[in-house]
Amino acid sequence: MGINTQQSLKAMILGLFALFFLKLHMTGDIGKYINPKYDFMSKIAIGFFLIFLLIQVPRIFQKRHAHHDCTNHCCHHHHEKWNVGKIISFAIVIFPIMTGLTFAPATLNSSLAANNGSILSQISYQKEEASLEELLNQNSESLTEKESIDIYSSDYEPLVNENYLTEEEIKSKHEKLQNAEIIEMDEDIFISYYSSINDNPSSFEGRTIKMKGFVFKEGDFTENQFVLSRFFITHCVADASVIGFLAELDGADQLQQDSWLEIEGGLAVANYHGMEIPKINVTNWKIIEEPEEPYIFPIQTWVE
Amino acid sequence: MQTKLKNVNQFLSLLLIGFFLLFLVPIFIDYEGFALPKSFYQFNTIFLSILIEAIPFVLIGVLIAGFIQMFITEDHIRTFIPKNKILAIWMGCIIGSLFPACECGIVPIVRRLIEKGVPLYAGVAFLLTGPLINPIVILSTYMAFGNDLEMALLRMGVGFVAALLIAFIVSILYPSNQLKRVNKKKTIILKKRRPIGTRIMDMFKHSIDEFFDMSKYLIIGAMVAALFRTFVSIQSLFPFGDGLLHSTVVMMVLAYVLSLCSEADAFIAASFKTMVPSTSILAFLVYGPMIDLKNTFMLLSVFKFKFVVGLFILITSIVFTFVTLTNFL
Repeated sequence: MGINTQQSLKAMILGLFALFFLKLHMTGDIGKYINPKYDFMSKIAIGFFLIFLLIQVPRIFQKRHAHHDCTNHCCHHHHEKWNVGKIISFAIVIFPIMTGLTFAPATLNSSLAANNGSILSQISYQKEEASLEELLNQNSESLTEKESIDIYSSDYEPLVNENYLTEEEIKSKHEKLQNAEIIEMDEDIFISYYSSINDNPSSFEGRTIKMKGFVFKEGDFTENQFVLSRFFITHCVADASVIGFLAELDGADQLQQDSWLEIEGGLAVANYHGMEIPKINVTNWKIIEEPEEPYIFPIQTWVE
Repeated sequence: MQTKLKNVNQFLSLLLIGFFLLFLVPIFIDYEGFALPKSFYQFNTIFLSILIEAIPFVLIGVLIAGFIQMFITEDHIRTFIPKNKILAIWMGCIIGSLFPACECGIVPIVRRLIEKGVPLYAGVAFLLTGPLINPIVILSTYMAFGNDLEMALLRMGVGFVAALLIAFIVSILYPSNQLKRVNKKKTIILKKRRPIGTRIMDMFKHSIDEFFDMSKYLIIGAMVAALFRTFVSIQSLFPFGDGLLHSTVVMMVLAYVLSLCSEADAFIAASFKTMVPSTSILAFLVYGPMIDLKNTFMLLSVFKFKFVVGLFILITSIVFTFVTLTNFL
């Protein structure tokens, strides 16, 4: 019985793609590539790859040129000759599976953040943007409008989703932001707190804040300055943008770029090119391991 | 001679399988401490993330393409598509607007449609509006620009009109179907109905082949986009002041190279809001879904090189002109 090499390679590649996606889900590494909210799409992909594999396997043993079942537009792969082009094509398709299975996903670092431009200008730009808190309310509004769901009625049951927060949870978290002794920048509410503080830094002056992030320093910073930053990801890491707070700490020049810190300090206001931006005067800090969830994702109060 | 050729083939395939197995080894070995430059890991992560995001959509795309291949005949299409050019273009644009596709998933679908006899201009109309105008894209644009419908509406409106015009010019410039592999023998009309089971099997087989055809171009596109993201500073794109035309060009270059999914690009666009005028942001939003780097590579797998270049120039100049015109509205 003849074995068709190209067909078996295809089967192998399909199997490996399924394996790769499966591995991403099993290890949770998927969250280091894409927003986990969209991971159902890649689960569908696993299913498709497995179905494809099932259909591909019998083709390995098919004789060449024997496609009685294929009446129209016979596929382009009947003359299964090997040539340089074919080899390059297979090599290209194999490449991402290999690097994907071989190398662990890296967490984005300051070199990428620097590519987006000066960090402080990025931060002060974000300040100008529509506050994400507003955006958040709009989300629920648009859902309410779109599907005419009355979120305040008792019939309304929130859909369960990974980073899902109910209206009440967000409300209570925002009360905390206004009143709590220490503002804790937890991952789930990070972006909302971040935009509130960024929008109106002076109203948070003197409050204590606690957050985790990586150290990002730029050429024009003074010795005691750094930005404690995070990456904010909408869809996949290719669309990451950097967010963070300017921090001041004596001896900050000893801190390594990209090292992860947990800091506590008082919020103050700094001036950057005529714009008010928040600043943290660090009182306590420690070096930490990179967290399980290094990225910040948008809060979702609804499901597409 | 025959045996010699066979030997070469066998040798090559063995070589490839060997190469393949060599790569499999690392799965079982921990590569901790294996020193490659840090930027390689950054590149690799971004590269894979683009693929992980795009592959499910490509899979759906090739499945739909397979379905069209096996279940839709030339006769269906002939009765369905209006004879009138303008009507056909309108129809392509409207169906595209209703069809929730992304720019990589739509390429295999368009190829099948054109092979089945859909005129090139109608196919192009569908190709341009499919990823640009659909409910998910509109909603995400609306949200990203803070409850402002204006940007979402402009994106749809300008995009739709641009697509109509581009498809119309295509209909004048390119009378033939411009597909790469036109093999007369291949296009035998489905005459007798075969059992549904076989047809479904065939549908999957076509989808698999289509996937391998498409994915290599997607992978190259994702690779170049990731290289750009890893090594090029966005600020370096703004070297000469910030005139409107200049910033529009820069935003279009960005839209092209970043190759973002049309469902996520609004959020990135919004982050440029204070750096560039909203006209330039509109250019980013309209241009990116119509053509971008990874999608160009995929188009190259389907259409003749000259046509892809022509289409690229058409889309670029028309989107640029239209977007600039909105400035005077």
